[in-house]
Amino acid sequence: MRRLFSALLVTTLAACASNPKPAPANPDSPALGEKAAPAEATADAESFRATPPQPGKAPDLVLPTFQSAKLDNGITVIVSTRRELPLVFAGVAFAAGSAQDPKGKEGLAELTYRMLLEGAGKRDTVVLDNAFADLGVTPAMDVQADGAQVGVRVLTRNLDAAMALLSDVVLRPAFSLDAFERRKKQQLADLARAMGQPGVLAQMAYLEAVFGLQHPYGHLPDGTPASVQGLTLADVMGFYRKHTGPKAQAVILTGDISLEEGVALAKKHFSWSKNKATPPPPPPATKAPPRQQVYVVPKPGLDQTLLLVGRAGIAAGNPDEYPLELATTVFGGFFGSRLNMNLRENKGYSYGAGASLSPRLGVGPLTAYSSVRQDVTGPALSEVMNELTGLKDRPITAEELEAAREGLIRAFPGAFESVEGLGASAAALFITRRPLDEFNRTVEGLRDATAAEVQRMAEKYLDPAMMQIVLVGDPATIQEQVTPLGLGKLVPIEPDEAPVPRAAK
Amino acid sequence: MFRMKALVAAALVFSGSPALAQTPTHQEAKPLEPGREALAISYEKYALPNGLEVILSVDRKLPVVAVNIWYHVGAYHEQPGRTGFAHLFEHMMFQGSRNVADDVHIARLEQLGATDLNGTTSFDRTNYFETVPSNHLETALWLESDRMGFLLDAITPEKLETQREVVKNERRESIETAPYGAAREKAWHALFPLPHPYHGDVIGSMKDLNAANVDDVKDFFRKWYAPSNATLAIVGDFDVAKTKALVEKYFGTLPSHARPQRPEVAPVNLTAPVVLREEERVARLPLLSIQWLTPAYLEEGDATADVLATALSTGKASRLYRRLVLDKELAQSVSATQQSQGAQSVFSVDVVARPGVSTDTLLHEVDAVLDEVRQQGITPEEIARARTRYDTRTLAGLQSVGGFGGKADVLQSYNHFVGEPNYVAQDLARYESVTPEAVKQFAQNTLRPGARVILHAVPPARRQAPLDSKERH
Repeated sequence: MRRLFSALLVTTLAACASNPKPAPANPDSPALGEKAAPAEATADAESFRATPPQPGKAPDLVLPTFQSAKLDNGITVIVSTRRELPLVFAGVAFAAGSAQDPKGKEGLAELTYRMLLEGAGKRDTVVLDNAFADLGVTPAMDVQADGAQVGVRVLTRNLDAAMALLSDVVLRPAFSLDAFERRKKQQLADLARAMGQPGVLAQMAYLEAVFGLQHPYGHLPDGTPASVQGLTLADVMGFYRKHTGPKAQAVILTGDISLEEGVALAKKHFSWSKNKATPPPPPPATKAPPRQQVYVVPKPGLDQTLLLVGRAGIAAGNPDEYPLELATTVFGGFFGSRLNMNLRENKGYSYGAGASLSPRLGVGPLTAYSSVRQDVTGPALSEVMNELTGLKDRPITAEELEAAREGLIRAFPGAFESVEGLGASAAALFITRRPLDEFNRTVEGLRDATAAEVQRMAEKYLDPAMMQIVLVGDPATIQEQVTPLGLGKLVPIEPDEAPVPRAAK
Repeated sequence: MFRMKALVAAALVFSGSPALAQTPTHQEAKPLEPGREALAISYEKYALPNGLEVILSVDRKLPVVAVNIWYHVGAYHEQPGRTGFAHLFEHMMFQGSRNVADDVHIARLEQLGATDLNGTTSFDRTNYFETVPSNHLETALWLESDRMGFLLDAITPEKLETQREVVKNERRESIETAPYGAAREKAWHALFPLPHPYHGDVIGSMKDLNAANVDDVKDFFRKWYAPSNATLAIVGDFDVAKTKALVEKYFGTLPSHARPQRPEVAPVNLTAPVVLREEERVARLPLLSIQWLTPAYLEEGDATADVLATALSTGKASRLYRRLVLDKELAQSVSATQQSQGAQSVFSVDVVARPGVSTDTLLHEVDAVLDEVRQQGITPEEIARARTRYDTRTLAGLQSVGGFGGKADVLQSYNHFVGEPNYVAQDLARYESVTPEAVKQFAQNTLRPGARVILHAVPPARRQAPLDSKERH
């Protein structure tokens, strides 16, 4: 896994920062990329510029290190030490997420975890928020399919006070009825708002297309208006009791702190927790059946069309992960990838196009994405499919593979500069139950993957016939331009239109 | 504080452009308060004979080094009829130069393991940056110097055409298809009427993007992209003496001219409220946005505005959140910000309505909260909390050597606006002098009901989120 802190995302629609490009085999050699200098320039004092510089000896690859301990009550403590600045990220990760929402109660995990910040111990919502504000922070709560995390980034001198507050939040949530009713209405209004966001509509339809509504990964954490409408405070308290407890939690401390200090702090604030909950089993694997249809979320008149093209990929720990990460990077992982260079730099259809592999605790998605000008919806989708086909017709070259391999491996040190990034990575390790030396394994895996393996992964997982397609955009344009491509019958998906209760008093 | 809201990959920045000091003042760095020692940044600044400023700061935390160049030109410097041009030009900087083939700039950096790789354009400046493994510093300098010196050798109409399309798609993503994007743009136009150079926002209009041609690219480059109008920052794990020699090798011979003059522009003075009622095409919930023109970055009042914005909308106990979201349940979200910019800043309050709530109701409620501040100011506790927050955030910004808001950007920003790269202590000291009375005065004198733009972006009734029928009035 390349960057744990992004691994939990369904897909990053907005991003197009990175995708690959056929480039020099060995980045240390001047090779392909450069033009010959103009003749008149070679003779002058500037001629040295025609030859790209040779890099010096590569520095040691510095990877983040995570240490852990377990307290007597079973709670895990994960620490990553970074002493340069007096900053610490402190958080608690939970091993159950929205994949544990009971059928018909989608949105329960989200509502439950959000309730933790609506009063704890003797403090109500406002007093609790002010207590954090006294430490210079607002706590962040992140709920994903496989787990959740609450955390703060504080100056070292405020760490003990922050841990005391986090302990209240996690171990003594108030779960008051008033706060529950209010929070539920907010979640319903969030859903109403989401219906006006093309990117969210695309994600909802995509999860349905790839996993099916019945699968634990088939919905976003927010749930649907109908499912959230029915949630009760008893549901929330039941979820929290069933799924959280020391054996299903980790205290995460990264930055200006040692393992020993971290364990002492965790003992002080979290050792009296006793609940018996254990981490849930991974969701069942999903089949990736051949595509039968193309899903369309109609947004009449939208100036762009959002494309999501993908399938169920792999679970964390699958040995295919590293070669597949390399294949995905060549296809759409870098700015210079085949997909982005085609849609953006060659055709000008889009501000960016990319692809990402998101292994989860269970089988997670493998997704290509772009937003394209409305009037080139058909041609752009056609190019995405061509690039998928192209992985077989134009096998990944040695140059492409080595560029992806070196680029991914050498980017590791720079990707772990912040304590909050380390904290998010530690949480993701815990939630997807990866070993703490995962980053070393990733580097080895990327290094050892052979060209044949990478090509095999490209053909196995990026087969165009197996990719589901979701389009959000103008229905008439889509009908006219996509039907002739013969990719399947167009099937509209309408987001849930169930009414939400009036909020105003 | 400066904030950046940047889109990824050759992106633009709408905010975050503080003011150019008329006369760069070299102030003695104020000693840091106890507990703030970690905010000290050691650096060295010098200039090459061609005028290029260089800032070097060693940080050996990781074997990486950030290269970050600020050109002191942004959308503020565009010609009439060419809104969006500074940003379109930024895209052209990634399309190859005399010795760097088309389209390989980013790919080459990616494959050697670069992170935090991007370019951004704001009103007041344009920056280009990458963080590379420390053994590839020279490659980054080679790439940056080639486009600073020899960009025009590689410009073609075809490349401009493609990037024009890319940028128009970027505009569609951030304006036409973004919730409230089109309505917000109209409000921005109303805040900065023509001929103010902020009028076009950074992204510019489709019409002006269509009008841009290769001659514009050449003229813009020749006027604004000389070494004398740029500052190079190198931050991270590097050898100072060797790096100085490399900087001399790659940048020392680039031709230059006198630093171009910044155009003078008369400030906008709103004398009456402007009310805009726009039909919202994308979002499903109504938005109320109230905006005022406020003092430029680092000017008197800018820090006060930051503190008030924090007290109004950061956290569940903040004034607007508490009243509109928690107590009255009228709003889904609230946000108050001071967008600090070089010529004039913008203070805005944005409120997204709950289903069934009108923006007029929201306006009434926001005004009630502001009236309280106008009459009583805010509490010393609220100010103290904001200060702790800024201390923490500022320190956190120094964790990364490069990237958006990282250490290289921090040094560059202060250098751009006050001529002193390490201005952290002075910046934070501004907040020490913010008092309840100052906040009260700011709310009374600057956040006036009679001098603001009020935007109601309301979806047509049939497209609004449906209400539960039994609760409908």
